[in-house]
Amino acid sequence: MAAVSFQELRKNFGSTQVLHGISLEIADGEFMVLVGPSGCGKSTLLRMLAGLEDITAGSIAIDDRVVNDLESKDRDIAMVFQSYALYPHMTVRDNMGFSLKLRKDKKTRIDERVARTAKILNLEPYLERYPRELSGGQRQRVAMGRAIVRDPKVFLFDEPLSNLDAKLRVAMRAEIKALHQRLQTTTVYVTHDQVEAMTMADRIAVMNEGRIEQLGAPLELYDRPANLFVAQFIGSPAMNVFEGILRDGAVEALGARWPAPKNKGIQGQPVRYGIRPEHLQPGRDGVPAEVVVVEPMGHETELLVRINDIDLIVVMHGRSAHAPGERIFLAPQAANAHLFDAASGRRI
Amino acid sequence: MRRFTREAGLWLLAIPILLWTLLPIYHIFLFSISSKDSAFSGALWPDKPTLRNFGTIVREEHFYLHHFWVQIWNSLWIAVAAGALTLAIATCAAFAISRLKVRGGRTVMNLALFTYFIPAAFLAIPMYKAMGAYELLNSRWSLVLAMVTLAAPYAIWVLKQASDKLPYELDEAARMDGATPLQLFRLVYLPLMTPSLVAIGTYALLLAWNEYLYAYLLLSHEQTITLAVALGHFISADDSPWELLMATGLVYALPPAAIYYAFRRYMVGGLTAGAVKA
Amino acid sequence: MIAVPGIALPRSRFAFKSSWQTWGAIMIAPYLLVFLAFVLYPVSYGLWLARDPASYARLFADPIFARTVVNTVVFLLIAVNLKFLLALWLSGFFVHERIWIRWLSIVFLLPWAVPSIPTIFSIRFMFNPEWGVINSVIFRLTAHDGPNWLNDPRIGLGLAMLTHIWKSLPFWTLILIAGRLAIPREQYEAASVDGASAWQKFRYVSWPSLRTLYLTSTILSMIWTLGDFNSVYLLTGGGPADLTHVLATLGIRYIRLDQVDLAMATIVCAMPLVLPLMWFMMKNLSRGDRQ
Ligand SMILES: Nc1ncnc2c1ncn2[C@@H]1O[C@H](COP(=O)(O)OP(=O)(O)O)[C@@H](O)[C@H]1O
Ligand SMILES: [Mg+2]
Repeated sequence: MAAVSFQELRKNFGSTQVLHGISLEIADGEFMVLVGPSGCGKSTLLRMLAGLEDITAGSIAIDDRVVNDLESKDRDIAMVFQSYALYPHMTVRDNMGFSLKLRKDKKTRIDERVARTAKILNLEPYLERYPRELSGGQRQRVAMGRAIVRDPKVFLFDEPLSNLDAKLRVAMRAEIKALHQRLQTTTVYVTHDQVEAMTMADRIAVMNEGRIEQLGAPLELYDRPANLFVAQFIGSPAMNVFEGILRDGAVEALGARWPAPKNKGIQGQPVRYGIRPEHLQPGRDGVPAEVVVVEPMGHETELLVRINDIDLIVVMHGRSAHAPGERIFLAPQAANAHLFDAASGRRI
Repeated sequence: MRRFTREAGLWLLAIPILLWTLLPIYHIFLFSISSKDSAFSGALWPDKPTLRNFGTIVREEHFYLHHFWVQIWNSLWIAVAAGALTLAIATCAAFAISRLKVRGGRTVMNLALFTYFIPAAFLAIPMYKAMGAYELLNSRWSLVLAMVTLAAPYAIWVLKQASDKLPYELDEAARMDGATPLQLFRLVYLPLMTPSLVAIGTYALLLAWNEYLYAYLLLSHEQTITLAVALGHFISADDSPWELLMATGLVYALPPAAIYYAFRRYMVGGLTAGAVKA
Repeated sequence: MIAVPGIALPRSRFAFKSSWQTWGAIMIAPYLLVFLAFVLYPVSYGLWLARDPASYARLFADPIFARTVVNTVVFLLIAVNLKFLLALWLSGFFVHERIWIRWLSIVFLLPWAVPSIPTIFSIRFMFNPEWGVINSVIFRLTAHDGPNWLNDPRIGLGLAMLTHIWKSLPFWTLILIAGRLAIPREQYEAASVDGASAWQKFRYVSWPSLRTLYLTSTILSMIWTLGDFNSVYLLTGGGPADLTHVLATLGIRYIRLDQVDLAMATIVCAMPLVLPLMWFMMKNLSRGDRQ
């Protein structure tokens, strides 16, 4: 087990910089998720930690030891690749034991550790099979087994679930989480899926264009997004955001006044007003809106409503009697509203 | 009716194709089972088919055949050595270029391709002089090395194409598992490349076995020449025993044809794909 | 350079990279040695031998030379193009899905699978004017002697071309079959629905897809044909009276006469033919490699 520390990490591919000084401390035993849109540099960051990309500037330390110049194999970390990267010509047993074999462990020890890992992952019946004879979920598990068997200081995952179908993804998500609770190994997990990030992480680092936008516990990010990017990236359906002017404790926008938190911003400041769909409930009075689309899901209902040609999303618990074309009133509460500076996008 | 004419048309085309393909080969076969007198009768089948010619060959009972066994051994030795050496050199080079991304790998690939596009008979002349300078003339090694020179470029090209198709994550996974470059080569790369390696090994082997021009230039002593060169000697005199030449030719042609057909699946798929990329 | 706070390190050279580069260099070295020893050195040495203008004067003075150049160009233009028209046509035949056509295609590959010497000698014997099977048949049918075949330079060269075609037609047919099989069947079905005739299907569906392959193959085949020594040498030996030589056999002839400078000069004279073809292929392949 180990703590990981990134200091002002930069990465250039040729002349383009893709990471602009990342600093991040990951605690011992923590499950850290790096999340962000595709192309934002998550994999690059992970691969630098893995020793697969060299470091343009800055440093990476594992347990206070700078590993910049160490080879992957000397960093004592294990990685699960998106494509699993299982050796097609080796059985599950050999795939899992490969790293141990390379470091010249005794055969009995290898067998014992492979057996133990296979047991944890329910892979015992498949040990003599080849990867091509396994289902997607089983391959995924073998890839994890290959990492676990080495008992490394840090686990790295690069979008490990994105090759699985939706149902399996949910199951594996829980399985990885349970595994982490059992092994307590420091884990860095990369994904572009904010649901995965929210459900699995101890802490999340939201990345965008080579920078960390915000770092924090999942619900912290949800409740207090530091900027517009995080506000709209975290949460599904995404937060409703529209422009307005702050005046007398409310935001004037879309031809109405929207209640805002007290003591924030300055009079007349142009802002973005953000409100999550579940905080926008129909009531007896409030801002008038027209229902455009009704999407019943069973446990909740999504409404697409229109105010002044702007579309907003409303999520209602349970079922709804509303029909398209109907006029409703939305009454948001000041405590649930988020204010962002219109120019910088930063939270006010 | 239209269907019928089309089928008939196809069959009609098959006959000339078959004749064109088989005539010279059947002619070899016909001669090799004919006795000296009946060989020139022009008949489609000899009066008394005989295997005597093959007996003569096996017992080396003719002036042109005094060293038959040595020569066939030379052919085999050279083919196997050239095949193995080409395979070793080309596999290492393809691995270095495609997987280790060695600096200058692209340049080396281009040099190899350049060699591949030098017409063989043109390269033979300077090669002959160089082998003379290296004092390798008349040694089997000269032909082996010449064949490696000719076969390696194409071998590297095909193997590089094939190994570019292996996912790069495999190497990264192996690296994280602690593999050194040599372990990656031995434990991951070679097992995964086996089908292409079989095809390329066979290609180089057949190339060397079938080679005439280089063998004819580089080897001249009766004890060192290959069977191909020995066959060429038959033609030097007007009264050469055609039936023996054809029988020996058949013996010489059978192994490569058999190997070719045995590995056809690999050869046709693997080699033609790399031969010309549109 | 941006100042880096904290543990500032000099820009690191990756340890693994150097060890992997070292191994890469070691593993590529054998081929590089082969190239240096058996391509670069011989070719440079050969070109150095061919530096004397007097060799070219002697070469041009040799009466066979002009004839050889003409032969080579004729060989290249006629044999290669004829071969490719045949291959194109035959590939259309072999893509029909019939079990017997599959068997036929396996037999059809024989000329390519079998070494040249026995088969070319076999052809040579077939065309022997006195005892060959061809003239025997002609005599039996017409009671006249057949032509002098290989003793006539024109017919001899023509037969050398046919031999060349016989030997390499299967390979190129195979390549074009592969090209045709790569065309999606739906395109033909769509053309059928649109009422296209067989010719129109070829013209508007097959040919546009095959064109590049056809051209590249033709160029590559031209290079190989320039280096084809066997089809001429084993059939006619360059005769009669050295009138059927091509550049490949002429160069080797000079080598056997120990006139290396003339041999190299012959090759240099072939360069205007070879270099554009090589350039085309290099350009083509390295482009295909990059994508
Ligand atoms: N080997 C490379 N060469 C050049 N650019 C690269 C390379 N790898 C990644 N990039 C670029 O770096 C950026 C970040 O890539 P990556 O880390 O893979 O993003 P993510 O994993 O977040 O989707 C992208 O813009 C990508 O195009
Ligand atoms: Mg990625």
